[in-house]
Amino acid sequence: AAEDESTGLKMPTNYVEVGAWYTSDSSAKFGEYTGLDDSGLDLIGNFSLSGGDAYGDGSGATRWTVKGTDLGLTSRNLGATISNQGQWSLGVGYDELRHNISDTYQTPQQGKMGGNNFTFPSDFGTINAQSSPSARVLDATYQVPAFHTRDVHTDRKNTSFNAGYNLTPQLSLQFDYNHLDQDGAKLLGTGALGGISAYGTTWRAEGNNVIMNPTNYKTDTFSLALNWIGDKGYMTGSYYGSIFRDGYDSLSLQNAFLSNGGTPCAAGGSCTYQTIVMSTAPDNSFHQLNLTGGYAFSSATKLSGGLSYGRNTQDNSFLTGQPEIALSPRASLDGKVITTHADLKLTHQANKDLALSAVFKYNERENQSPSNIYQYYAINNVSGVDYAANAPYSNRKTQFEMAGDYRVSKGQNVRLSYEHESIKRWCEHYAIDDANCLVNPGNDEDKLSVNYRLKVREDLSFKAGYTYGKRSADFEGNAITPLAGLDTATPDDVNAQNFPGFIAFPYAKRNQHLFKAGVNWQVSDRVDLGLNGRYSQDDYDATLGVQNGHTAGINLDATYAYSEKGSISAYASWMNRERKLKSGCSSTSATNPCRDTTPADNTASSYDLLIAPDNIWTNLLKDDSNAIGLNVKHGGLMGGKLEIVGDLSYSLDKSQYSTQVPFDQRAAPIDCNDPSSLICGALPDIKNEVFTFKLTGTYQVDKTSKVAVGYLYQKRNSDDYYYNGYQYQYTPNRIMPTNELAPNYEVNVVAVSYIYNFK
Amino acid sequence: ATADQGAVNNATKLGSGDTVLRGDAKCTACHDGEDKFGPKILKIGLTKHGVAADGRTPTCTSCHGESEAHLKGGNKPGKPKPDRVFGKNSPTPANEQAQACLACHKGGNRTHWEGDQHASNDLACSSCHEIHTDHDRVRDKKTQPEVCFTCHKEQRMDSRKISHHAIGEGKVVCSDCHNPHGSAGPKLLKKNTVTETCFTCHAEKRGPFLWEHQPVTEDCTNCHTPHGSNITPLLKSRAPFLCQECHDGPHASQTPIGRNAAGIQGGLTPTLPSETYVGRACQNCHSMVHGSNHPAGALLQR
Repeated sequence: AAEDESTGLKMPTNYVEVGAWYTSDSSAKFGEYTGLDDSGLDLIGNFSLSGGDAYGDGSGATRWTVKGTDLGLTSRNLGATISNQGQWSLGVGYDELRHNISDTYQTPQQGKMGGNNFTFPSDFGTINAQSSPSARVLDATYQVPAFHTRDVHTDRKNTSFNAGYNLTPQLSLQFDYNHLDQDGAKLLGTGALGGISAYGTTWRAEGNNVIMNPTNYKTDTFSLALNWIGDKGYMTGSYYGSIFRDGYDSLSLQNAFLSNGGTPCAAGGSCTYQTIVMSTAPDNSFHQLNLTGGYAFSSATKLSGGLSYGRNTQDNSFLTGQPEIALSPRASLDGKVITTHADLKLTHQANKDLALSAVFKYNERENQSPSNIYQYYAINNVSGVDYAANAPYSNRKTQFEMAGDYRVSKGQNVRLSYEHESIKRWCEHYAIDDANCLVNPGNDEDKLSVNYRLKVREDLSFKAGYTYGKRSADFEGNAITPLAGLDTATPDDVNAQNFPGFIAFPYAKRNQHLFKAGVNWQVSDRVDLGLNGRYSQDDYDATLGVQNGHTAGINLDATYAYSEKGSISAYASWMNRERKLKSGCSSTSATNPCRDTTPADNTASSYDLLIAPDNIWTNLLKDDSNAIGLNVKHGGLMGGKLEIVGDLSYSLDKSQYSTQVPFDQRAAPIDCNDPSSLICGALPDIKNEVFTFKLTGTYQVDKTSKVAVGYLYQKRNSDDYYYNGYQYQYTPNRIMPTNELAPNYEVNVVAVSYIYNFK
Repeated sequence: ATADQGAVNNATKLGSGDTVLRGDAKCTACHDGEDKFGPKILKIGLTKHGVAADGRTPTCTSCHGESEAHLKGGNKPGKPKPDRVFGKNSPTPANEQAQACLACHKGGNRTHWEGDQHASNDLACSSCHEIHTDHDRVRDKKTQPEVCFTCHKEQRMDSRKISHHAIGEGKVVCSDCHNPHGSAGPKLLKKNTVTETCFTCHAEKRGPFLWEHQPVTEDCTNCHTPHGSNITPLLKSRAPFLCQECHDGPHASQTPIGRNAAGIQGGLTPTLPSETYVGRACQNCHSMVHGSNHPAGALLQR
């Protein structure tokens, strides 16, 4: 009997689970990734079958497995593997993932979700786009009824195959292939000529239409690797390929802000609409050769590293015949990006107390695509033809790190590390006389870290660390950036058309401080506690741009195993983030004034006169996140046949933007608390609150059968001003309403399933 | 038969009294499934380490050491532990635990283990992997995140925000992007760079495009926060404010924006909310932020 039992322990447990979900309400957000987005019944289908002569008392090395999960949902997964361990292995897989984007999006346009052509009913007419919101009405007979709700989602279907073969005990081959098939759509903003008159003048008249941008993509990924393992060294040589194909070359949609003749046409009559053609993601390929390996000079001294060479190409034909294209000097880009990588790491255990390491990394992205000057009409089309040179951006990053880890005493370590990172940026063969296309051609950053680890006892450990980083920046304010006034004889816009003193945050000089600490304490065999926190502060040295920011976080976790059969675990997390932005404004317009109109310099067009103490404004972003959770597991009920698992969680995330204009605007200052203020004041919180309660009970009917019953309740309160601007009769005068709503829901789910286990 | 097939055949012979692995008798005589560790010890027979016919398969002492003192201790209370004990509260140094595994598991995904983040923070393989079970939670998509979240609490909170990858749903896991065994990329990413890692699944954004957006070519995390965000889609901030962190000259990027972005329903009295600020704001028109291949797409509008 004991022998049978030990044999049983070496036999896999197979299972088949069949049942049903019942979802009380439909919500795209609730079922965003799970497939439980529609109310009603869904099938529960899970199984796992394994076998082979390597199990039990078999003397072979063959094992196979067939698994399936969530078979009744759009998140289904199927897979199978078979291997003769030490000799060969084969695997196939299929995985689906639906991502629900929206179930409240409305459009008057005709065309299927996932398609690339959207049109208006012929009698829709152009929309009545008045400057006064109260006057913004759609025709009740022909336009309002045309709006219909669409479920917008994307589907990802992955089909994979892998194979491995051991040529010798030291040499093995591994092949992996994945085919990703995507369809569906994501929402995309599109702009077109609007030609709407506001305040008696024809403004830059964009008309906006949020459209379902198709994701008709196919991506094939291959990897073939040859692995060698020796006594002291190992090496892998591999090829990685990724080929992307887009089923559509363009996205066409009609513009209801103007007729094709450039004038509005009445609803109910026939109207020929202007057609807009957007580009889609171009087909592209990436091929990469990789070599990685390592060598142990001794048990104390080891070397590892790798080399990669990648070639990314794209040569899709450009769209032709579009009115916005004034001159396209090429029929396609013939784009080519070469990526190269090298890394080397040497580690040395100098003695039992001191471990040293040195790391070097090199990454280069060299964009060898040709640069030309293109002539085009921007969608506002008020200034005639515009000129721009495409800038094939290249960059090179080198990193060097040295670290020493010293054991001060048993269980007590200090690690010191220094890292230098340098990044250089350039544009090869830039169309404008090989001029520099970047105002920020390089950064260098030094980081110094000290980390302390203390293991007071086997059950009590503490960690703390501090990192200081200092980033310097090269700056070339006179660089000729792609859009820098190329339509004039001498490009006249400095600093990428930004104010003098403005530096984009990824490239600005920066001082960074990061503190972190944590303690883990196993109070007893039954109680575990963990507490950790982190604070980071970024200070940017820029007259204008992001000035500073910080992130702080604290997490507390506790577990109490109150008996052999039961445990309770709980957590609480808090995080706060702030970012302060300072910028300059030159507008003296009637609606968005931010400068005194009297000083003479305000009339200057040259940007070098725009910095003045009376036109600086600030914006503060505050992010707050809070989460708590409780999990209870209790088994051994009803004579050991029932196990219950309960989960309770609550999270609250808030983001708020506030803008201040600490200067006098025109003659009279604007009160930022005045609800009529366009340019300053605090926006409503972007708030998301989720409460979840989950209870699952599993009852062992007999030796082979279980019944599982589950209940899930989830409520989301979402408040986001983002949706305001798309509501009918509240939209700005040139936005087609979508009536999209923030995803609020309250959903109950009940699941019942039967599980059959067998050896 | 090839040489290595011969090795496998030789390896199939379990010794007298062995239960699962060659030479385990001296251990399973006590650890027979009835001791305090229970049957889980023998469940190693369900794992890859339990395939006796594979000549590479270890025995108990391959990992735990010869443990002579432990064996001589018999059933005496307080007897010495085995030479190598695995787990978070083990007296065996983490590096020594890891080396026991790396003696066989060389190269491949573990090429960069030595001196990398996890190794230098006293983690061993057994900090994440469970050896004596056929269900190693960290190798199961449905359960891997809870293993990683044991330490990575901020990512746990981020992954539950309104905009997130399908991590909690078990469809996207940490190891899809990260190699916890060490890597040549930043943040233990599987690929050499952030962009290369993201393009694995988002190849439509790879280009190269005729009109590139400079920060996109360097690092997706200039704008995105991949573990989760309160601002869809996985954004660090929202347009127009996100855009204004890099632009304050062209078009409306220099204009301060207050209640205007919240529209009339956000408290603005009925005046003219601007399409430049509400909803997608800049991206109502400049929507091709990842790059455009349209000859008239210089402003990322087409």
